[in-house]
Amino acid sequence: MSLRAIVDDPNAYWSGLTRAEQGVSGFIAGFVVLLLGGLFTGILAPTYFLFLVGIAGMYSLLSLGLNVQWGYTGLINFSVAAFFGIGAYGTALASASSSPVAGNLAPAVGLFVALVLAAILALLIGIPTLRLRADYLAIASIGLAEVVRIVILNEDQLTNGSAGVRGIPTFFDGWPLLDTFPQTMPSVAVSWLPSGTVVLGQSFWSALLNVVVVVSFIAVSYFVLKRAHRSPWGRVLRTIRSDEDLARALGKNTYRYKMQAFVLGSLIMALAGVFYAHLNLFVSPGDLSPITTFYVWVAVMLGGSGSNRGALFGGFVIVAIREGTRFLNAFEFIPFDVAPLRLLLIGVIIVLLMRFRPEGVLPPQRELIWPSVVDDAPEQPDSGVRDSKAGESND
Amino acid sequence: MTDSQASQVANNDSSSEEQAANDERAANMDKENVVLRVEDLVKSFGALVATDHASFEVERGTIMGLIGPNGAGKSTLFNLISGFYESDAGRVTVNGTDVTDMEPYEIADHGLIRTFQTPRKLEGMTVREAMLVGPREQPGESFIKLFTDPESVREREQRNLKDAQEILEDFEIDHLATQPATKISGGQLKLVELARAMLAEPEILLLDEPAAGVNPTLRKKLAEQIRRLNEQGTTFLLIEHDMEFVMSLADPVIVLDRGHVLMEGTPDEVQNDEGVIDAYLGG
Repeated sequence: MSLRAIVDDPNAYWSGLTRAEQGVSGFIAGFVVLLLGGLFTGILAPTYFLFLVGIAGMYSLLSLGLNVQWGYTGLINFSVAAFFGIGAYGTALASASSSPVAGNLAPAVGLFVALVLAAILALLIGIPTLRLRADYLAIASIGLAEVVRIVILNEDQLTNGSAGVRGIPTFFDGWPLLDTFPQTMPSVAVSWLPSGTVVLGQSFWSALLNVVVVVSFIAVSYFVLKRAHRSPWGRVLRTIRSDEDLARALGKNTYRYKMQAFVLGSLIMALAGVFYAHLNLFVSPGDLSPITTFYVWVAVMLGGSGSNRGALFGGFVIVAIREGTRFLNAFEFIPFDVAPLRLLLIGVIIVLLMRFRPEGVLPPQRELIWPSVVDDAPEQPDSGVRDSKAGESND
Repeated sequence: MTDSQASQVANNDSSSEEQAANDERAANMDKENVVLRVEDLVKSFGALVATDHASFEVERGTIMGLIGPNGAGKSTLFNLISGFYESDAGRVTVNGTDVTDMEPYEIADHGLIRTFQTPRKLEGMTVREAMLVGPREQPGESFIKLFTDPESVREREQRNLKDAQEILEDFEIDHLATQPATKISGGQLKLVELARAMLAEPEILLLDEPAAGVNPTLRKKLAEQIRRLNEQGTTFLLIEHDMEFVMSLADPVIVLDRGHVLMEGTPDEVQNDEGVIDAYLGG
């Protein structure tokens, strides 16, 4: 799917896509037009728009993480919010000025602390449960999420308790150049918009930096996951998901693989937490509310379990629904307040999805064999692997 | 507990003397070149003794059949040998190594691979992709090596794909290679299972009812393949209910009844044995 292929022959590229891919591409194009329209007419402030992109990226990271656990390996983890919270608190307690533990360390150290804490937590929950059937992990993880939240809420001397942690620096604090980037950038006044002049000032530049952070986190995770997904390692995980006994009989140490997948997924979730802490500059126990877990599960199922780009897409859609419903109130012909209905709306989407497209919008389409090997193979599958299951053809 | 199970438990007590009388007819334990040795294996589920001091040996290079009436404990025995169940007592030795109560993957490392009675389909994989799960100790199965040594991952993957293609050709199912693994028939799936197990390069392969649910044509093909692979050096132990299939293929055959080995013999001996006929008729 290189850019070159698109430029060389856009028609062939388009017809080479599955119907779902065409649909999603069309949807994204339409959505981008809508957003540009919003920016253009001044309904959507540029800084707020970048903030939304950051939040969407954060959900995409969480979805990528859960996708490793559930989508690849079939591990049911209901403690997404806990790993997100551990990531956020890990970096906050290391770098914030109000941290009761360490404080004022570089955010890079905070990132490291967050990842280490998340890995330890994943190991602690994985050691007793991953040898058992999948449902035990599910139950234990529900408990874990609450335990982590309540510990953070009550251990005042370690976490500031319900007061939360204030004074978190931005992610680039202490970096050369990037630290003072928002201050040094000039204010740009955009006057050609129909809605009047918009000034892109300091807050715009710092929001842009945040987007840079989240995009780099996603890029790194995506690169790692893409390679892992098409490797023999990922293949063992997918075998475990379908039939763990088969994997064991073929000599695979399934406990070890499940642990690796669980820790890897948790680390990516913690990355999302790190980003959030340096975006919001304040974290509190409320950020660990179980609803986050719920949203991320919806995102993964919507995108298509086992598909990396599906997880990315799902993350963005969830934020679009969550935040988009705010704007619906601008339409006066809708006689009631739409925003509180967003949970209902997400519920309706899940029901429709399960009824009409249980494999998700963008399920994995291709054979997952080490890239250069399978591209050289004489024979290629003439259709997507998963398509047939849902009874939908490619043409 | 069902009635039949209860009566089976009651029978077990009275059968101990009977069993002692049978012992000289039981499995031959003096074989020359043994791949798999099972000694006095015991497993009970609550009051039900599923495996009752089972002992036998599998000689290298043979195809051994394991038959017995329903509930004789054949599948339990397989699960014990391959490490899926923990035994209560007894010993399992593969190639001279004691593998009793090891994890299945460790036992596989010692050269013992098994298949399942009802193979489950690997969702979202093509047939050749599913085949690639077979080979053991692939460098690409280490997460770290994906990034530190991608070249060796690629080389091995290429070789494995070639091997998979070849073995599918040998099995005359190479036209299925790029089909979704969920789309092929039950019989084809059994062939794919066997082919995949061969990619793990087992010294001894345990097949749990390889012919069950397979149509006669494909069944013949399956038997041919097992014979061919055996000639190339793989030892087989197979559970089978289809008498024609097992009797034409296996030698020797051991008969399991109520968890212990009733007898071992050539197909002819087994088929004409009164004790075996009694066991099957529930005498």
